[in-house]
Amino acid sequence: MKPTIEQIGNLLALKRDERPEEGYWQDFLCEFHQAQREQAVKKSLVTNWFGRVSAWFSDVGPSKWAYGAGLAYASVAAALLLTPHTAKLENTPSSPVKYELVPAPTPPTVEQLNQLDLSPSTQGNVGEQVF
Amino acid sequence: MVRRPCKLIPLLTTPILMFRQPRPPDPDQDLVTRAQQGETRAFDALILKYGDKLYGLVYHMTSHKEDTHDLLQEIFARSYQSLGKFRGNSSFYTWIYQIAVNLTLNFLKKKKRRTSLSLNDLDSPVQQDPALIDNTHEANPERQTNLNELQIKLNEAMRKLSDPHRMVVTMFDIQGMSHGEIAKVLNTSEGTIRSRLHYAHLQLQSALQDSWEERF
Repeated sequence: MKPTIEQIGNLLALKRDERPEEGYWQDFLCEFHQAQREQAVKKSLVTNWFGRVSAWFSDVGPSKWAYGAGLAYASVAAALLLTPHTAKLENTPSSPVKYELVPAPTPPTVEQLNQLDLSPSTQGNVGEQVF
Repeated sequence: MVRRPCKLIPLLTTPILMFRQPRPPDPDQDLVTRAQQGETRAFDALILKYGDKLYGLVYHMTSHKEDTHDLLQEIFARSYQSLGKFRGNSSFYTWIYQIAVNLTLNFLKKKKRRTSLSLNDLDSPVQQDPALIDNTHEANPERQTNLNELQIKLNEAMRKLSDPHRMVVTMFDIQGMSHGEIAKVLNTSEGTIRSRLHYAHLQLQSALQDSWEERF
């Protein structure tokens, strides 16, 4: 005998009043506020950092940008010019390579047709199979 | 010159009014507005108002108290952060339930991917179920033992249901929500809810069949 849907519903309804123990929500709220405060601090740090960076960039006017770009270009060019790019290759001692000729393997001999026995006695009947 | 009222307008608007019923005002509107303005006490009041219901939902889905606690913290944190985006298109109750359902289902998916669910990890809700403990005073001990054993079997059968089916059973049978409310929260049709519920009940029926025969 199976329980009816109603009986199952009644069994499940017994769980309806299940609640956390007393004082749970007070602790929960404390933890929640703590987490929110920590997140707010993190957020404000990131916001401050971003604000400072953007303020620094906004302080730099277009003329200063041009000077900065020119300076950067000059330093890169100087670095390229001053770097010794004609590096000498080290003379590595040459060593003779040993080699010898290996004869190619002889191909296998093909059986000649005239050596095959093609006499009528060795020929089978067409269409017949002997098991 | 006296203007005569146009008689066409009522004729045209009547059918529209018939189909579009005005939504009842959200009982949490005041608290939500205050929380949106940064009043933390208002949001605390919302947590205390819906905490128990959401606890039940998450706990019956996870069967694990620590997971339930962590998930609830995440649910309320997410809803607090997204409160500014809440436009009142649904009630706050439906909105926070949707967040809870989505986060719980995602959590269960991730957990299944990490490890297969171990029965040792699960709490035994029957022993801690106040409803059952209260019943012991009223019912006779033998019947209560049978009921406890049935509850254990029922919990096992519930765990075997798929997450969406267990979610629907939890919301309908345990939390007492209507088909319409569940459909709104899960963003599906009532027909889908009824079908899932029917299938889940059949599964539970067949899972409880043996123990039911032994005891009744």
